[in-house]
Amino acid sequence: MPTDFLRIFALVKDYRWRFIVSQFAMAIAAMATVFFATLISALVDDGMVAGDQDAALSIGLQMILLALLMGAAMAIAASQAVFFSQGAAFLIRRRLYDRLQGYSFENFDHRPTSQLMVRLNADAVNIQNAVMYAIMLGSFAPFILLTTLVLAIINTPQLVWVLVIVIVLVVAIMALFVPAISRSYDERQERLDDMGNTLQENLSGISVVKAFVREKLEIEKFTRNAAAIRAPDFQAAWRVAFMAPLLTGLGQLAIIIGMWTGGRNVLGGGDMTVGDVSTFTQYLSLTVAPLALVALVLPLVLRGDVSARRIFDAYEAEPTVVDRDGVEPVESDALAGRIRFENVSFAFRRADGTFDPPALRNIDLTIEPGQRVGFLGATGAGKSALVNLIPRFYDVTEGRITIDGVDVRDIPLAQLRKIVGIALQEAVLFKSPLRPNLKFGAPDVEDSVMFEASRAADSYGFIDNLPEKWNAPVARRGYNFSGGQRQRLSITRALTTKPTVLILDDSTSALDASTEGRVQAAIPGFVDGATTIYVAQRISAVIDLDHIYLLQDGEILAEGTHEQLMASSGLYREIYESQLGGGVIAGIDMEGASS
Amino acid sequence: MSGASAPAAGIDELEYRPHTISRLLGYMIGGPKRAKFAFAVALRVVALLGLIAIPFIMGSGMNVITDGGDKSDLNPWGIAGLIAGGIYLFFSLLSDRMFSRMASQGLYELNIDLFSNLQSLSMGFFFSNPPGELSSNVTNDAEVVSLFYTNAVSQIIRAFVQIFMILIVMFVMNWQLTVVALMTVPLLLGAVYLVARIASPAFAKLQDVLGDVSAFQEETLSGHKVIISKERHDWAMDAHVTEITEAHRVGSRAFLASLMQFPATQMLSLMQNVLVLLAGTFMVINGRTDVGTVMAFSSYSALLSSPLAQIANLVTTTLNASAGGERVLRIIDERPEVGDAVDAVEYEFKGGRIQFEHVDFGYVPGSLVLRDNTFDVAPGESIGICGPTGAGKSTLINILTRYYEIDSGRILIDGQDLGTLTQESLRKQIGVVLQEAFLFTDTVMNNLRYAREGATEEDAIAAARKANAHEFIMALPDGYETMLTERGANLSQGQRQMITIARAMVAEPKMMILDEATSNVDTRTEQLIQDGMRALMDDKTSFSIAHRLATIRGSSRIMVLNGGAIEEMASHDELMAERGFYYALYMSQFKGKGPDGDADAGSSRSFVST
Repeated sequence: MPTDFLRIFALVKDYRWRFIVSQFAMAIAAMATVFFATLISALVDDGMVAGDQDAALSIGLQMILLALLMGAAMAIAASQAVFFSQGAAFLIRRRLYDRLQGYSFENFDHRPTSQLMVRLNADAVNIQNAVMYAIMLGSFAPFILLTTLVLAIINTPQLVWVLVIVIVLVVAIMALFVPAISRSYDERQERLDDMGNTLQENLSGISVVKAFVREKLEIEKFTRNAAAIRAPDFQAAWRVAFMAPLLTGLGQLAIIIGMWTGGRNVLGGGDMTVGDVSTFTQYLSLTVAPLALVALVLPLVLRGDVSARRIFDAYEAEPTVVDRDGVEPVESDALAGRIRFENVSFAFRRADGTFDPPALRNIDLTIEPGQRVGFLGATGAGKSALVNLIPRFYDVTEGRITIDGVDVRDIPLAQLRKIVGIALQEAVLFKSPLRPNLKFGAPDVEDSVMFEASRAADSYGFIDNLPEKWNAPVARRGYNFSGGQRQRLSITRALTTKPTVLILDDSTSALDASTEGRVQAAIPGFVDGATTIYVAQRISAVIDLDHIYLLQDGEILAEGTHEQLMASSGLYREIYESQLGGGVIAGIDMEGASS
Repeated sequence: MSGASAPAAGIDELEYRPHTISRLLGYMIGGPKRAKFAFAVALRVVALLGLIAIPFIMGSGMNVITDGGDKSDLNPWGIAGLIAGGIYLFFSLLSDRMFSRMASQGLYELNIDLFSNLQSLSMGFFFSNPPGELSSNVTNDAEVVSLFYTNAVSQIIRAFVQIFMILIVMFVMNWQLTVVALMTVPLLLGAVYLVARIASPAFAKLQDVLGDVSAFQEETLSGHKVIISKERHDWAMDAHVTEITEAHRVGSRAFLASLMQFPATQMLSLMQNVLVLLAGTFMVINGRTDVGTVMAFSSYSALLSSPLAQIANLVTTTLNASAGGERVLRIIDERPEVGDAVDAVEYEFKGGRIQFEHVDFGYVPGSLVLRDNTFDVAPGESIGICGPTGAGKSTLINILTRYYEIDSGRILIDGQDLGTLTQESLRKQIGVVLQEAFLFTDTVMNNLRYAREGATEEDAIAAARKANAHEFIMALPDGYETMLTERGANLSQGQRQMITIARAMVAEPKMMILDEATSNVDTRTEQLIQDGMRALMDDKTSFSIAHRLATIRGSSRIMVLNGGAIEEMASHDELMAERGFYYALYMSQFKGKGPDGDADAGSSRSFVST
């Protein structure tokens, strides 16, 4: 049973009236269709054969009315099906997206964006189509079948067995044929994805292809992919194309069988009339089309069921970082920005609930208000993980983090994230003008604050040079700005909120050293006493800070000022050597640096 | 159901392009395929003969029943009917399979032409067409054409043949009833046309709107960190509702219009049936025809209305195909911007001297990225290139490998003008290690052997050893046969870099270009990479772009670019002694903590900042 698909109906119960009306209208349309067919034999018997023009006219009139009724009922049902299915897609998108807004970092780690996008789009569309056709056609067929069967039992009981055999045959043929279509489509889609991947990879790596002059090899690869599509493409194509002749053919064969068996009854002295034969013929042909429709709709419903299951899976994920029960806002003005890590350990949780090896182990440190500190280390050393714990992007696994003595978990998230401002490594901007982007963290702030922030982040100059200045459009993700510009805009955005604790998570990596230096020099003047934390891989980004922590494998290996570290830490010297290479060549006196 | 299929073309693109359609058809049924095509059409005609016989047989049978007679008199008609039905099904199957095979083959050939031509294009084309967009456009357009091949072509033929044959039979049987049966046809066509008229642009609009919706979702979900960090969930939810409300509105209109086709055509075909039957009744009563003929007629008129209703949809599919097909054909017709000269010669390596003489270059006319570059590199020299972002470092490399044609000046390589050489012979001698360590989804071994046609496994392993990559490759689950996932995601950044270095070695180039990776790796890995790069450069002429000055300190000479011009070019020691541009750049890294505490940061203001 497609249980998940049925749950969708419960999810969109706001539209239940549309559903009820559509089914009611469909029942009327089905009955009108069947009665229309029975009137045909009446027309033949009472009009044509009996030679009664008046009777023929009145029956003809009834038939026209039935045709109109059928059309109208079907139009109503169709419109309700459209509104219901579009409404369902709308509600699914809305509820799921709103749900995703409650996700924590961890939830996003477990469900990549591409996967969520499939839920919000392809899966929602699958359900929309399944719902629409299920309402439109899925119920039409049972109505017609039922009415036909009942009428056949009443009017032509002698030949009901023929009707049953035809139904069974059509169902059997469709049951074989339609899944075969799905299978070949699925295979075609797989091969098509393979080819798409080859194409995409080729285009992404085109410079490698050209550099090694391997175009011929690439064409061979692609040709193999393209050739692999031919078989499933052909299989899917002929099956789909043959569908129409198959249905027409089955319908026509049913008519012949009805004529033959009915006629034998009449001629063999049975109790049927000529009119009964044409009625029976109509019954048979009436059943073929709706059965075929069910066969077509069923795969859509099954696909919708799979989609529904996936949507519910994403919908039911619980956010992992939430406010504790009964947290009260703290007095913001009293905060100075002293950050303490008390024996903090942290490990990323996997999707199955188990933990990765610890990313941070037994971190104990205190950052004084207004201090400028740096965390230095290679990729994977745990720098980002460490600073992500402060605004509670993740929660500590052990120990605790306090701001001015208050556990961060005892501060409401909305307030905590105003206190702690962060400029992230990946400088993402949104598609809207610059101003709302820069004021993203503080929409109500004065322009003058934004200007000042922008000056401090060294973005004022290039923004002021733009034709539309602060109203300049920003493309999706900010791709109309260079990497360095995006980073400076991202820092501006973080500064605009005037946070008490400012974190720059490797957010100057695309700037050259001199620009980076300018930004770092200007920030203290702007944030005015805020605690500032830099995360960096480049030594030049932390070299002149008040305090530097050197991280390796989730532990603090060494700490101190640049001069202290040059003296005390071999690894720090090694990094310095490899990145700046001052030492021998530039003539630094290594021994003297310890003083 | 086909009424709800969404056309992919924009509103303004729904125009008839006879030339495009005939070229697309050429792939499927052109040239030597014509005979096959004719045969498939003939099969279709035979199938339809079977179909058309059925109402006639049916009518004859009914006449037997009406006239009364022996039970066995009916048997010939029953058997004939089953045979006719069998013929229709069997020959339809044969013909559909033939058409479908031609469709798959046509699509295959179109795809190959498309891809082969893409491979011949110059880098400029790929820079102006981002890979993600290009591949999804190409894939979508090819799908629309595929729909045309698999559905439209055979169905249009079926529809027209069916209509034509049935009309003939009907006229021969009884022309008065034929006229009656045709009375509803204008209404039917009108209804179908009206639906297509409303639905097609609505679906085109829907595609656009849904594109915006998913772009917004993608942007905000992949940017979730920013939204979470600034607690702006309300903004995201509100903006999202606005987006999907529009999709809901447009979608309802599009589907409503397209679904209305169903009741309209159903109703009209019932009406047609009534008209034929009524007219038939009067004619029977007046003795002008018999019951069987009228019943047959009513069946024929039903067989007439379904292909008529189909035609409108097929026309839409065809128009979409002409829009999508035109874009595909445009790529097939695209010619490389940088072509080999007609009399291009093979490059002959003579040590690797490279001379730039007053070279100017810009990606777009009127905006120079490189200005008047003149320099002379001796065979075996290693040149480090540095300068602020946007100074033209990568561009210099792009024109040296002749991805782009220079605007003026001359580049000589071992005394041979770059423009007179074949690109293939040139690139085979110049090895390139790019900043982005691109690897294919394939085994490590195949990635290494990619660099040179005919490279053996031994070549690959030897190169990996030299590039310090052998050790970690052997530690991978399947060693050299380990599959690399998409973009080499299961390797660390540093490991990927080392594989690309090894790959460049496999190519055995005579000159090297290295673009230093910006990504940072731990110092040990960094050391291994540096060693690998040095082994690669050997005594070859080499250029390396540096983002960290430490890596090019040991170069024979350092070229300092600023705003597209060569500011300075000399060894590290000379440049430091000069205390010029390079010196300022170098000292800015130390923020006053370097060898000279008083380094003047002021001179850094003159950098061209982007």
